[in-house]
Amino acid sequence: MFKMPVSKTQIDRLGDRLKGDSHTERDLRLLDDYRQSFGEAYEAVVQTIRQRGEFPTGRPAKSTASIAEKLRRESLRLSQMQDIAGCRIVVTDVVRQEQFVASLRTVFPGASVIDRRDNPSYGYRAIHIIAEISGKPVEIQVRTALQHLWAEVSEKSSDVLDPTIKYGGGPDEWRSFLTEISESVAAYENCEKSHSERLAASEKMAADCAEIKKLVAEHEHQLPDQKSQELRGRLEALTRKIANAEQKGRENLEALRRLRNDFCNLLTWAISLLDKRAKEQKQ
Amino acid sequence: MIFLIEYNRSEGRIVTFRDFDDSQRKEAENSRLEIELDLNRKRVDHEVVLLDAASEDALRLTHRRYFEDLRQILEDKRGKGSIPDNNHRLTNGSS
Repeated sequence: MFKMPVSKTQIDRLGDRLKGDSHTERDLRLLDDYRQSFGEAYEAVVQTIRQRGEFPTGRPAKSTASIAEKLRRESLRLSQMQDIAGCRIVVTDVVRQEQFVASLRTVFPGASVIDRRDNPSYGYRAIHIIAEISGKPVEIQVRTALQHLWAEVSEKSSDVLDPTIKYGGGPDEWRSFLTEISESVAAYENCEKSHSERLAASEKMAADCAEIKKLVAEHEHQLPDQKSQELRGRLEALTRKIANAEQKGRENLEALRRLRNDFCNLLTWAISLLDKRAKEQKQ
Repeated sequence: MIFLIEYNRSEGRIVTFRDFDDSQRKEAENSRLEIELDLNRKRVDHEVVLLDAASEDALRLTHRRYFEDLRQILEDKRGKGSIPDNNHRLTNGSS
């Protein structure tokens, strides 16, 4: 059936009406048409990501409840909302997250990147990429497994404990728990990233070392004394650097284990709090 | 695959769960709208959403909140965890 295109003004008026508690059937149908207008852009983005070997979970259209809540919460017009359509990818760790975001920047060169890792939104950390296809924005959420775990805990807490938790409200102790666990994840991931960078540098040094050793072994008698001494000097310096990097690596791993324990202790504490709450509710 | 979920937020549980083939997108969209209109008439506040995923397992990983209670989400990660005890990738060459 042919549908008349809807103007931006009509969309924003619809957004104003959706802020209310009750919605008319006509408004819900109009919202549905508007959401469906993102379908082609959504498909194009998801297909592009699949071609890069990742299989995101897509959400072709944000739910009415989520749209209405966002409109009530933020001074935003419906036509400005950038996450009507979107998808989510959960990757193993922060190194993979950065690699994947870099590849998305290449395939969607005009996309805006919102890095919520250094400036978390109420503890929420992730990278969001807003790709625009034919004037329609599509949000790509790229989370590490730990960032995703935090987000799931926050969302589920908002569902069943207090709907304001997701946006910094709710009981003090639960809010503190979410803040602490978000910081714990950040500390772990920063440590993980620096360890990974150190490991890569160490591997590069080991490769250089092997190359010099080979050169010296193969051409020892042909090399002038000065060159031979220079190479041996470089070899010694590299060997010292590698030993130093290995020591730092061991310290880093120890730090990672400590951070892991802190993180697990926080989760254990949260579970005991839930148990206590359940017990109180039974009584 | 396309998944249609009707979710009762305050109770934290799924009310309706249906799956569709990729070829049934229009049908899935119509079903979503029908459920939403029906809930609106009854003044029932549930979240209704369509999600695309490679499989139900993939969906359960990226949208755990629909399928698990809070304790399960916290508990699952406590022992085996997203943070491995012995991160082999990171220990290569440095231990």
